[in-house]
Amino acid sequence: MEILDKLINVALIAATLRTTAPILLVALGGSFTTKAGIFNIGLEGQMLVGAFFAVLGSIWTGSALAGVACGVAAALVFALIFAVLVVSFKANEVVVGLALNILAGGMTISLMKAIFGTRGSIVGHGIVGLPKVQLPGARDLLGSWAPLISGFTPLVYVAFIAVPLLVVCYNRTRLGLYIRVVGEKPEAAEALGISITRVRYIASLLCGLLAGLAGAHLSLGYITMFTENMSSGRGFMAVAILIFSNGDPLKVLAGCLLFGFADAFSLRLQTFGYPSYLVLTVPYVVALIALFALSYRARPRVIAETLESMRKLLSVDKNTEPGRKNPQ
Amino acid sequence: MKDHLRAVSGQVIAIGVALLMGAIIILMVGESPLRVFMTLLRGAFGDQEKIAGTLLQTTPILICGVAACIGLRGGMFNVGIEGQLFLGGFAAAWVGFAMPLPAGIHTLAALALAVVAGAAWVAIPAYFRARYNTNEVVSTILSNYVAVLLTSYFTIFLFKRPGGWSETPPILATSYLPEIFTFSRLNWGLVIGLVLAVGAALVFRYTKWGYGVTMVGSAPKFAEYGGVNVKRQGFLVLLLSGAVGGLAGGVETLGVHHRFMEGFAPGFGFDGLIAALLANGSPVATIFTALFFGALRNGSLLLEVDTSASREIITVIQALIILSVSAQVLVRKRGDSQAGERRWKF
Amino acid sequence: MSNTPGSPTLHSNAAMAVELTGITKRFGAFVANDGIDLAVRRGEIRAIIGENGAGKTTLMNILFGLLQPDEGSIRLNGEEIVIADPSVAIKAGLGMVHQHFKLVPSLSVADNVFLGMEIRRHGLIDHAAQVERTRELSKRFGLQVDPTERVGLLSVGIEQRIEILKVLVRGARTIILDEPTAVLTPQESRELFQTLRSFVAEGMTVIFISHHLEEVMEVSDTVTVLRNGRKVATRPTAELSKDELVHMMVGREVSFDRRARASLHGDVVLEVKDLWARDDRLLPALRDASFTVRSGEVVGIAGVAGNGQTELAEVLSGLRPASHGGAWLKGRNLTALSPAAIRQAGLAHVPGDRMVRGVDRNASIAANTLMGRQHRAPWSRGGMLNWNAINQNAETLIKSFDIRARAAGDAVKRLSGGNIQKVVLAREFTNGADFLLIDQPTRGVDIGAQEAIHDEIMRQRAAGRAILLISVQLDELAALADRILVMFNGRIMGEVAGDDADEERIGMMMAGVAAPEFAAEIAS
Repeated sequence: MEILDKLINVALIAATLRTTAPILLVALGGSFTTKAGIFNIGLEGQMLVGAFFAVLGSIWTGSALAGVACGVAAALVFALIFAVLVVSFKANEVVVGLALNILAGGMTISLMKAIFGTRGSIVGHGIVGLPKVQLPGARDLLGSWAPLISGFTPLVYVAFIAVPLLVVCYNRTRLGLYIRVVGEKPEAAEALGISITRVRYIASLLCGLLAGLAGAHLSLGYITMFTENMSSGRGFMAVAILIFSNGDPLKVLAGCLLFGFADAFSLRLQTFGYPSYLVLTVPYVVALIALFALSYRARPRVIAETLESMRKLLSVDKNTEPGRKNPQ
Repeated sequence: MKDHLRAVSGQVIAIGVALLMGAIIILMVGESPLRVFMTLLRGAFGDQEKIAGTLLQTTPILICGVAACIGLRGGMFNVGIEGQLFLGGFAAAWVGFAMPLPAGIHTLAALALAVVAGAAWVAIPAYFRARYNTNEVVSTILSNYVAVLLTSYFTIFLFKRPGGWSETPPILATSYLPEIFTFSRLNWGLVIGLVLAVGAALVFRYTKWGYGVTMVGSAPKFAEYGGVNVKRQGFLVLLLSGAVGGLAGGVETLGVHHRFMEGFAPGFGFDGLIAALLANGSPVATIFTALFFGALRNGSLLLEVDTSASREIITVIQALIILSVSAQVLVRKRGDSQAGERRWKF
Repeated sequence: MSNTPGSPTLHSNAAMAVELTGITKRFGAFVANDGIDLAVRRGEIRAIIGENGAGKTTLMNILFGLLQPDEGSIRLNGEEIVIADPSVAIKAGLGMVHQHFKLVPSLSVADNVFLGMEIRRHGLIDHAAQVERTRELSKRFGLQVDPTERVGLLSVGIEQRIEILKVLVRGARTIILDEPTAVLTPQESRELFQTLRSFVAEGMTVIFISHHLEEVMEVSDTVTVLRNGRKVATRPTAELSKDELVHMMVGREVSFDRRARASLHGDVVLEVKDLWARDDRLLPALRDASFTVRSGEVVGIAGVAGNGQTELAEVLSGLRPASHGGAWLKGRNLTALSPAAIRQAGLAHVPGDRMVRGVDRNASIAANTLMGRQHRAPWSRGGMLNWNAINQNAETLIKSFDIRARAAGDAVKRLSGGNIQKVVLAREFTNGADFLLIDQPTRGVDIGAQEAIHDEIMRQRAAGRAILLISVQLDELAALADRILVMFNGRIMGEVAGDDADEERIGMMMAGVAAPEFAAEIAS
């Protein structure tokens, strides 16, 4: 019990929110492409270049904000290349996504070597991290629970605020609606004169924007450094979440919180002396189990006609057809 | 034959375009492209040791490439070859240091366990892909991370060499893959790779199983109609692909490192996949693309010594090659590139 | 009939909602529309009727701007207009309800209705206003829908109402409906007709495409009959009898070039009993089918495409699960077997969708002729393929089936449609099966090749094979079949002997009028 108390407390929940933020940002980005009907395995790479260029921008300008902008710009360039190849040239999205991930890995390391002359990681060099935002009055209001809402870096807030914004976007704005239509029923979009190409480009770029923010959060958020391949599969986990959430922002949030918790929990376990290598597998294993379990649940079903249903279906000519249920 | 020529020339043009873009990036990192390319060439083929080194690098890429080809042929994207390679490598090492056996038999036993480990590692994603259509790209990618961490755990917590640093004890000499030359670590692994590539091509061409699998990858509805069990073949294809991926790890352990260590063969799985994609899923063509990537890799070792560029610049070039190949749809006829016709083709 | 029919005038004037003059449309060598004139008065319900491939849909797509005519002109309300794309048509007050609905399942009814012209307030979509306007419209025209419900949960009939609402909300005054009743139950159809009448009561014009005779008789003011891309006649409905209409529609004085035959009827090879199946959307598509096929017999399945024939073929070949009942091939229940086991039990299958099911377009002719027999000698021994035998056999088949190809190594995608079909037939007819399931053998095949294919089917019959021939072409069935079963809405509506195949009777059953003995059974 004591162990459990040590493991699960306010600090753990706060840590969960922190670790959730980057994967939430990138998954919400992927939500745009998923909704638009694009399988985007390139999230990982977009996040990685975002992280790298955020550090670079931060060093060059001495401003964290400019750093974030740099990271986003780099991720947008990757998103644009992805869109050009996949949407315009109709290239295979898996091949392009994987190639861009590999490109991101190789490019960041090459540039790191060229600019800093080091391998492995960039630390120091005057990287300016994002400040922590202390919400005034949080401590008075919540006492020891204050760390749950206060003291995070700005992109954590951005990530969580983005969730309701995306809900509104998909339900209440024309763009969000069109993204859904293009992904779900492209022929409907075509019939109404909605340009599938344009909507998919916009979705890809929005995805790049959020993936870039996710990357910037990785390298300028809680730790101000860049290490090679520092996105360490978060982009792929986001893709797993997107597959079983179908890109719905609230389900994405739920999935990301699960992984954020797995992440934070595993970090916590490490400090208790559990072998770090095993503990580090936890988020990936959780992602895999969720992926398998949910695809088992979505398996196609076979219907056998009963006497009852046969009678109903034969008398259809005289009555109305029974209400159709969604096959999904 | 004309089709063949057109396909090959398309690939060559794509490589040319990628090298050009690579040159621009090299300029951006402040190096002379000519110098980098010349260094790569010298590093890859400068003398017989360099050539042997290139072939040494080619070996795992080739075997992983064959693994990828097997998957692609059946319409499956095995992106988890990297993880299968790690597990296969560890499994072979374990047999190598923990089980004294007579020479020859020892090597075979180690390779056999590597094969089993690779197949076992892909079995769950393969089952869910075949049975419930779970996206195999994501599941195999994620399992890579688990595989790498798991083998590190085995190495460091369970089987660490006393006094060593994150590596297993060395394997017994009885389990070594024999070397071909005295001046290089180049070993019989290369022969295994070549045999596998040719063997895979022959299996696809001359067995009824290969015929069924090819049809599943190329026209699944037709295969289903013709009585091929699409789900079972899909499962088997991924399993076999994983087995070959595991074998690549075994060969790397027994032929080159003679032990398992953390980060022991980084990126070979992905290089193999790229080589297979560039070869359009043909195992024999993969021999040449793997050689190309092996040369790049070996050349890149000299790159770090002689120029200020990092060796990862070759990864950039590889990625650019794939991107420009995938963009080739532009120059191909429209009828040839209908979506879904071949899921994995560019 | 709520509106008095009047005879249409042929000279153009402003009272005409739509005038098409001399419309010709070719697809390659095929003439889909051949100099068609069509004039529709404002405020009438016009039915356009004809067999599959008569050119109805092409004509309507031209009117709506989805296709451009090669020749001819279009006037709307007396004014000449070029309809470059659907948006022009919509602006001019035309609206089209397609046969295949284009609705987004996850959106609400109102969202679907207003998609592309959303009502917005402060930049956000105003769902409440959209719901309100949808409700108004649906009340006004008797199109009952709940605007807030998600489309994915609704029945096909309601989906159609939404499509109609979509057209109305865009201000259409002339509404084109492509086979609107094909997906409806009779009661839903009656409700639709009510709605159509309320449209003309408000001065709107309705053009609807159909091949369902009774409905045409029930609701239309005038009928235009098309056949083989030409207009046969335009007549007031009241002056027409059903028989006349069928005659104009099918219209062949052409004798069905019936193949001579000896009676060979042998043992029952296939017995289908109480067979049910659902389609991909899990809707019942095959209902209670029972029949037998004997050796040396060709049993034809007639029907408008999409009335359960595909599902029947798929269940018999093991590609789709049956939801009830069974089918026995020489005593073995097919519904429990895999496609491979069914082939072994003695099935050869010429699939209707030959490009997807019938061949691998990227593979060679030889590789394509191997499918389904790769487990047998001499094609394979001990798991190894014998390419010599396979190639030689392919060369032989190329000769004997007159496949126009250079060599057995040619990729199938290089062949013409007719020759691809011959590859499929060559493979399936030569694998020694007792039961041949043949789906649309001559679709897209030129006349010469059709003859050859028919000859081959008769040869198979003479060899004592049991043959189930599914075709949408009545003349093909009448030429070849010993008995013809007619399907409508997933059900077998009746049986006609091939020797006295009567187009009229078959046509009626295809349009949903059951034969008396079947009607009694359905009613019970």
